[in-house]
Amino acid sequence: MSSSLTLAPAPPSEAAEEVRAQVREFLAEELAAGTFTTHVDTWLSGVDPAFSRKLGERGWLGMTWPKRYGGHERSAMERYAVTEELLAAGAPVAAHWIADRQSGPNLLRYGTEAQRQAILPRIAAGECYFVIGMSEPDSGSDLASIRTRAARNADGDWVVNGAKVWTSNAHHSHYGIVLVRTGPPGEGPRGKHQGLTQLLVDLSLPGIGINPIRILDGGHHFNEVVFDDVVVPGDMLLGEEGAGWHQVTAELAFERSGPERFLSTYPLLAEFGRRACDTGDHAQLATLGRLSARLLALRQLSLRIAAALDRGELPDIPAALVKDVGTTFEADVVDEIRRVVEVTPSLDSPDPVGRALAEAQLHAPGYTLRGGTNEILRGIVARGLGLR
Amino acid sequence: MSDQDLVVETVRDILAGHEPFALTADRAWDAGLWADLAEAGLTGVGLPEEAGGSGGELADAVAVVRTLAAGAGAVPVAEQLLAAGPALLAADLDLPDPAEPLTLAVAGAVTAEPSDDGDGPGRWTLTGTATDVAWAGVARHVAVLAAAPEGVEGAVLALVDAEGLATSDARNLAGEPRGSLVLGGAAASGALLTPARAGGIRARYALARAVQLAAALEQVLAWTVQYAGERQQFGRPLGRFQAVQMELAQMAGEVTAVTALVDAAVQALDRATDPAAHDVVLAAAAAKVRAGAAVEVVARLAHQVHGAIGFTQEYRLHHLTRRCWSWRDEAGSELTWSKVLGVGLLAQGGDGLWPALTRVV
Repeated sequence: MSSSLTLAPAPPSEAAEEVRAQVREFLAEELAAGTFTTHVDTWLSGVDPAFSRKLGERGWLGMTWPKRYGGHERSAMERYAVTEELLAAGAPVAAHWIADRQSGPNLLRYGTEAQRQAILPRIAAGECYFVIGMSEPDSGSDLASIRTRAARNADGDWVVNGAKVWTSNAHHSHYGIVLVRTGPPGEGPRGKHQGLTQLLVDLSLPGIGINPIRILDGGHHFNEVVFDDVVVPGDMLLGEEGAGWHQVTAELAFERSGPERFLSTYPLLAEFGRRACDTGDHAQLATLGRLSARLLALRQLSLRIAAALDRGELPDIPAALVKDVGTTFEADVVDEIRRVVEVTPSLDSPDPVGRALAEAQLHAPGYTLRGGTNEILRGIVARGLGLR
Repeated sequence: MSDQDLVVETVRDILAGHEPFALTADRAWDAGLWADLAEAGLTGVGLPEEAGGSGGELADAVAVVRTLAAGAGAVPVAEQLLAAGPALLAADLDLPDPAEPLTLAVAGAVTAEPSDDGDGPGRWTLTGTATDVAWAGVARHVAVLAAAPEGVEGAVLALVDAEGLATSDARNLAGEPRGSLVLGGAAASGALLTPARAGGIRARYALARAVQLAAALEQVLAWTVQYAGERQQFGRPLGRFQAVQMELAQMAGEVTAVTALVDAAVQALDRATDPAAHDVVLAAAAAKVRAGAAVEVVARLAHQVHGAIGFTQEYRLHHLTRRCWSWRDEAGSELTWSKVLGVGLLAQGGDGLWPALTRVV
């Protein structure tokens, strides 16, 4: 198979298993103390700044970053173990998730020294939260067609106009990394990749409006973020003017590669496991086995990506592949379980399986859309196969 | 070039002289391919030299099996190198000459009774019928996993000389021999195993099939990508159509997932001090189930992309898709291993699922 799709197996990491045990113990204590309750898809919906700060205090945010920026210089394998444990427990990690996963690494790669100094230690402390500023009302999968514009004014600052959508937790966040058009597109089919730029935008700036968009279960996580002559200081350019497409592609590799792309519905699988253990029902046990085999394969793929990140690679094509397979799995978890459990899904169900099923079902359309639709991802994989 | 690369290249060279053919009752295996492999010492890879094997690591044996599976080699090498051979050695039984095909029988109703036929201890009399025996009628030696005598816990692994045993002619979807063997009081050397060790042998066999499946699925993907690049319709290659690209990408996702898990399960076995350990068995079960599940997607889409030519025996695709459709339910069906995995992951109770999932591989 094409080498751009496959990665070497991840070597075992004792350090990762050590920190995994620590996180597991911490989560058990927090659950026992009632500081959080388990839910499905909490990396989107579980905003809890106090919880995020606790993770920061324990050194579990900004884990792989240099110490001089508040990081902990640990491996991607260790970070993988931490994020995986948090997701499996359905812990409230949404506040810091984007900042820790992709905005921080983006700043590390492309930010100025001043930007890094100002922001990274606060992310690592669990105090500073980010949004993704990519999709727009008229630009989803066709990201390069965005229309939000920024132009330099006489002071050298950026004046931003336009709107971003599906902006998760903008109402709880401090900054956004916003993709804007700063120059005209070039010629040819890939010409519109030119003239794009990333800006680091303080969401409290005048002229920014944040309007809620409710998802299927009524939850407020998404927003529309409107920019009306917003003046962004000139030194808030992220990376290079005109290099936004290249930078956003790198950011997406981080966005797509983690265990949240197959563990969003794990809390449902965990409840189902308890049910199958109680009933001893053969169909349930077989379903648990089939789903677990898929999950185990996804873990291996995701671990390989973590190991590749530790080698300094940016495996964007394998990341797209894992996200396609992973999000298909997390949606299938709902269907497979409801086929073998006698339960009515409801957010008000007294049965934990019924409640988790309801949460997972109502969030399900998002799994295979966010962070790049599976059709876009398969296009990337097809490129890895040499087909385009 | 690593040792494994060298092994793979040697197997490929030999395979190049033996085109796969549609297996029939009259031509149930590729005796010529076996002879060439045996002459090159490749039917003993991974089995220790002091036991009569060719030496080498588990990874070398896996490389041989993978290459032969991808090439649709109709020979009992997976059974010999990854299942029956290691099972005999682990039970302190003698390995037959690796040049003579050896297989493993784990299904059916066979009972072993200790016998004193004058050949010393460890002799057993086997009665009953072993079913679904891979390469029945082809393999000269059969390692039979039989029920222990009544009242004794565990199972007996016994090495049977298959010559002269009554064999039924049953074949799998690819025409590979999968008949029954009537033991009828056959005398054999054997060893009594604990239930856990017997389970370990079954798991090894399942993992052998998973290794074969992974290799075959990779090859099916490669063939399909190649075909989509060559076959022109509407003035352009099939692979230029987005609908076809989506299918090929989906196949690649499945194949990559299978390979990652099968590799991990092989490593888990390789690292284990006890090959019958609970987690090693679960890793093999998971690999087998995952590989089998991928067959649904990969074989279906491969045939869809190939169109009518792939539906014929004139074209190569069937050599692998038919094998995949069978292998996924051999050495324990997908349903069996799914349940083993589900039950095994819950061994520490309902709250133990996540710790088990993060420990198995």
